[in-house]
Amino acid sequence: MPWLRSFAPRVALLVGAVVLVASFLGAGWGWLRAQEALRRQLDLVLAADAEGLLRDYETYGLRGLADAAAVYARRGGPLRVLLLAPNGHPIAGRLPGAPARLRGFATLPPQEGDSRLRALGAILPDGSNLIVATDLALVDRAAAALAWSPPIAGGLAALLALVLGFLVARRLERRLAGISTAARAVMAGDLTRRLPEGGSGDEFDRLAATINAMLARIEELVAEVRQVTDDVAHDLRSPLSRLRQRLEAALAQARGPEADAAVLEGAIADLDQILATFAALLRIARTEAGAGREGFAPVDLSTLVEGVAEVYAPVAEEAGRVLRAEVAPGQRLPGSAALLRQALANLLDNALGHGSGTIHVALRPGPVLTVADEGPGVPPEERERVLRRFYRLDRSRNTPGTGLGLALVAAVARLHGGRVALEEGPEGRGLGVTLDLRAGGASTGRGLPEAPAGTRQDP
Amino acid sequence: MRILVIEDDAATADYIAKGLGEEGYVVDLARNGRDGLYLALNEPFDVIVSDRMLPGADGLAILRALRASGITTPVLMLTALSEVDRRVEGLEAGADDYLAKPFAFAELRARVRALARRPAPQAEVTELTVGDLRMDLLRRTVTRASRAVELLPTEFRLLEFMMRHPGQVLTRTLLLEKVWDFSFDPTTNVVDVHVSRVRRKLEAGGEPPMIRTVRGAGYILAPPGAEPG
Repeated sequence: MPWLRSFAPRVALLVGAVVLVASFLGAGWGWLRAQEALRRQLDLVLAADAEGLLRDYETYGLRGLADAAAVYARRGGPLRVLLLAPNGHPIAGRLPGAPARLRGFATLPPQEGDSRLRALGAILPDGSNLIVATDLALVDRAAAALAWSPPIAGGLAALLALVLGFLVARRLERRLAGISTAARAVMAGDLTRRLPEGGSGDEFDRLAATINAMLARIEELVAEVRQVTDDVAHDLRSPLSRLRQRLEAALAQARGPEADAAVLEGAIADLDQILATFAALLRIARTEAGAGREGFAPVDLSTLVEGVAEVYAPVAEEAGRVLRAEVAPGQRLPGSAALLRQALANLLDNALGHGSGTIHVALRPGPVLTVADEGPGVPPEERERVLRRFYRLDRSRNTPGTGLGLALVAAVARLHGGRVALEEGPEGRGLGVTLDLRAGGASTGRGLPEAPAGTRQDP
Repeated sequence: MRILVIEDDAATADYIAKGLGEEGYVVDLARNGRDGLYLALNEPFDVIVSDRMLPGADGLAILRALRASGITTPVLMLTALSEVDRRVEGLEAGADDYLAKPFAFAELRARVRALARRPAPQAEVTELTVGDLRMDLLRRTVTRASRAVELLPTEFRLLEFMMRHPGQVLTRTLLLEKVWDFSFDPTTNVVDVHVSRVRRKLEAGGEPPMIRTVRGAGYILAPPGAEPG
């Protein structure tokens, strides 16, 4: 019975067993209680019958009572009557196994195939003893009938549970087989495969939906990794090829200490650039993998932004630009100061390298950090793409940089539970990059301003 | 000056040993963690340069063992991983500095020199002097000869660091790390801008230059006319 290995029948079997045992225990106790109650009722009947006979005795005397007892005995009905003389000899009636003298209630043991008897004895004023008795078999049968119903119902319930368990198991088996098949297909490499959903919205559908969302995320990540691998291959091959050509050309030339030194210095500079790209890629990869979250510490973002702005203001000035910083005080969040500092530095590097005009750095309560410039900006259709690794606008291809700056900013934002949005700068000119860290800054729980228009909702 | 280099990669180890040897240091090489720890525990060194990933005992374990035995020799940790979080872990374990592989030799030299010259912890320094340049750390004032030099806070920090390491080549990466806590290289010339501003302010009275640029390496602050050591 392979279906016995399934969950539902095993539960059904267990439930059935528990129900059976409980109903048998209940039956024993129920029998005792029912028997007791019925016997008490029987005692009342016996008392009423004895009352009637005593009235006969008062009216007709001992003779009348003996006649009545003889009538009962002859009739052989359920009520048995025995009248004993004061010396213990029976005067009338018949009651096998009766004691020589009885006062009050008693249960008499069964006599030769008969069942137990319930008896009530009364001593009459003249000393003779009236005993009335009746069969306890009826009471026993009724008690048994009452007591046996729970186990019978329990047995039926156990049987039903087993059948139900079997049915549920078959249904489970079918649902799980579908999930298992799909999972195997995913394992075999078909990342587009999804688990079947029945459409009923039950817990299996909900689980399947969750797992499907996970599979979608995995597919997305794998595609991203593939994309990055391609990008890395492409973006590192070109500088490496350039370096190789440079060295090859130098080798073909006549040796001269000065020329050689120049070539070698150039080669080292090229390699440094490649290494910088590698370092940036590694850092993005680790940041995206969520590494460093365990090292999160409270960061005073206001101080951090002020510090970085202070470092960059002279750089802007030297480039004939102006850097303006408006920093709301006391903005804190748990995070990585090193990564947040680098994210801001990347934004400022971008604004200095690719933008123009005044650079506006603003840290608003939330915390929401914005770096905006008044340069040519990024066309709306390109904004999503510049957040990707290595993506560079055509006009930026010849400016220095790895094409990884904004990708790191986006990764840092995600690591801190926030997001990045690209918009126009102030007055609709230039580029404004907003680092919305409010989700990460849960400590600042006061009334938060509405999200800026055009904010990208992360999936 | 005696330096212990613990490095399992032969090419890197020889590169470091040769370079430091040419600088006039006596270099002992250990090819694995066990030998390195043994040497470090039993012989006096001025600086230890240790790889982080080592066969035998890893760099962090060596570091912890050294510090636990009360040896305070400055340790420069080398690592193939340039991540910030790893760096912090190393520094917390007691490393004095951290350098990511691959590195320019000038960078390693600058850092080894900074560690080798690190003065023993002493009474609080309240004044730094290099030639006719004086920095009052309590009043936060700088004077060249008798002329007061006005510096912005970030320029003050830069000059303070340079004055604490006079006559040494200070690379851009080192300055970024130690002065501004930037564990990355910005694409803009942040260091050059700040250094040239400080330099202009130091020479505003027509004094001879004190900050020299070392091509391909970094900057040196030294009294005018002094040969860099």
